[in-house]
Amino acid sequence: MIEILKRILEDTLQRLNYQIATYLPSLLAAVALTLVAYLAAVSVRWLVYRIFKGLTIDKFLRQSGVAFLVDPSGRLRATRLAAESAYWCLILVGILLGLDVFGTDLTTRIVQSFVFLLPKLIVAGLILLGGAWLGHYLGRSMLVWAVNENLPTPRRLAVLVRVLIIFVAVVVAADQLDFARSVFLAAFIILVGGAVLAASLAIGLSARGVSRLLGDQNGPLDGSAERSLWSHL
Amino acid sequence: MAQPTLPLEALRAAEVIRRADIVIGIPSYNNARTIGHVVRAANAGLAKYFPQLTAVVINSDGGSSDGTCDAVLSARVEDSHLMLLSTPLLAAHRLSFPYHGVPGKGSAFRMVFQLARQLDAKACAVVDSDLRSITPEWIDLLIRPILFAGFDFVAPYYQRHKYDGTITNSIVYPLTRMLYGVSVRQPIGGEFGISARLIQRYLQRQDWETDVARFGIDIWMTTIALAEGYRVCQSFLGAKLHDAKDPGSDLSAMLQQVVGSVFALMEEYDSIWRQRTGSSPAELFGFRFDVGLDPIAVNVERMVNSFRRSTADLGEIWESALERPTLAEVRNLASESGRDRRLFHFDDQLWTDVVLQFACAFRKHPIARGTILRSMTPLYLARVASFVLETEKLMAPEVEDRIEQLCRTFENAKPQFLTKWEASGKAGKHYAAARSQDAPRPLTAAQLEVNHD
Repeated sequence: MIEILKRILEDTLQRLNYQIATYLPSLLAAVALTLVAYLAAVSVRWLVYRIFKGLTIDKFLRQSGVAFLVDPSGRLRATRLAAESAYWCLILVGILLGLDVFGTDLTTRIVQSFVFLLPKLIVAGLILLGGAWLGHYLGRSMLVWAVNENLPTPRRLAVLVRVLIIFVAVVVAADQLDFARSVFLAAFIILVGGAVLAASLAIGLSARGVSRLLGDQNGPLDGSAERSLWSHL
Repeated sequence: MAQPTLPLEALRAAEVIRRADIVIGIPSYNNARTIGHVVRAANAGLAKYFPQLTAVVINSDGGSSDGTCDAVLSARVEDSHLMLLSTPLLAAHRLSFPYHGVPGKGSAFRMVFQLARQLDAKACAVVDSDLRSITPEWIDLLIRPILFAGFDFVAPYYQRHKYDGTITNSIVYPLTRMLYGVSVRQPIGGEFGISARLIQRYLQRQDWETDVARFGIDIWMTTIALAEGYRVCQSFLGAKLHDAKDPGSDLSAMLQQVVGSVFALMEEYDSIWRQRTGSSPAELFGFRFDVGLDPIAVNVERMVNSFRRSTADLGEIWESALERPTLAEVRNLASESGRDRRLFHFDDQLWTDVVLQFACAFRKHPIARGTILRSMTPLYLARVASFVLETEKLMAPEVEDRIEQLCRTFENAKPQFLTKWEASGKAGKHYAAARSQDAPRPLTAAQLEVNHD
């Protein structure tokens, strides 16, 4: 009995020994790589803060409306964004390199698939960001137009425009990532088809009918007394 | 940017005429009903007051389809040259921007100025083609200060109904006066006299393809003259009566073009207007007299309703233009407007703050300029409604006093505005600073809902 226990213990210790001998250098290397990556990330973040400071990127982001999109308070700083992006990119690279050191099938597959997917992820992310910006911009334009034209429910119209544009961006991003392509495409076709049908019906009702319809809810739109005032600079 | 080539028929006509001392430009678009009178008045004015000088009347037309060109030709006076030209109007222009009376007025003026330069004219006057009150004296009053008193720019000075010219009275006049320190009562009047050297300067500019080509042209001309130190005066022309404008015109687009031009020029002449304080009136020519004016009907109810509805919807856009205390006041005003309409009052200080803060926002957010300017429409309507209520029982001189009071409010706000203007051109920390934590909080969404109903 004791012999058996002793053999089991020895086997276990041997396996542990073997595993330590096999994986410890890799683990140490991985930890070292991650640590180096962390140090590099911290340095690069510091460096980016210094480099970007004084550049006009913050102003550009604020003026282009991107800052307000990402951070409605308008306090987003490009410097911080760039520095944090560089930091996390380096940390990610460190982790991937660390995983690659082990050389197992699983880690290799993880690294490979990530490297393969990364450019697509970046492009998809940019498409989504662009879509969100465009949706925000055109939604606001629609809101102002609808308010000035006295259309009913201007905010809903603005949201509709925003959602439509963001949806189109999502479809394009999904296509980029090869993710549920057919589902998104079908939804997109249904949506566009529906929009075309709605537009056709609206035209079919004729401008006069639409005008009367809107007029019922918001008062007369044409020939009202203050037009003469509005027409004079 | 290359100068556009003049149409062939214009060049041929210029070759035949060779030179002219005076050029009268009349931009038009579907003004057959009134343009004949304007052309006859111009010709009569030239014949009566400047018989010794050679003159040309140029109708620069935007593609009228109602026989405007025939009306011009049939009004020809044998003693003076009359040319009929066409302003090429791109379909995109027409489609992209709502027309109002004279589409592409700036483009029409550009052609007139090019011809004036070609003909080596000493003075040029431009008059609208929808005028019903123009007399031959107008030509004298617009041209004489240029030819015989050494002025470069003659702005009109009219008697207008108290509810006429509301963009002028509530925004353009007070703002231009505050900025450039010269009181020109009708900076976007539509009738101007211009010297040869100022025409030369206008044609050197590279911004003809902007809003200047549309409704921005009048304020653009006035501002350049004021900012660049040209000699500016005013001529009293009597009453301004003109044809009813196209009811399909879009107020917010018009407001965007005019106010956008003012704000854009503010950026350009920043270093000039910063130096100027107070204001003095531009010299006034002509004999002042009282005249009867066309009544103008105003639907205050609808304007106030439009403002009240918009306050809930446009809050997110106004937040990017107005400071918190101003926005809170606007919201408060909207909520109170639902109670007693006769007590509705958009005071001068609040209106001044709104206009000046929109100017800063225009500078701060170049990409969203159109949206920001168009979102100003309901605020403008509220201010007009308040002005109408306030001046309902006032006579013209008292109304003029009220406008004077508004101008003084603008002028008093200038020192503080300078700081904010400077901040709006700098990085985001200034933006954050402007929205200080100590500022009063705006009304809550729940409060707004109650007010909205």
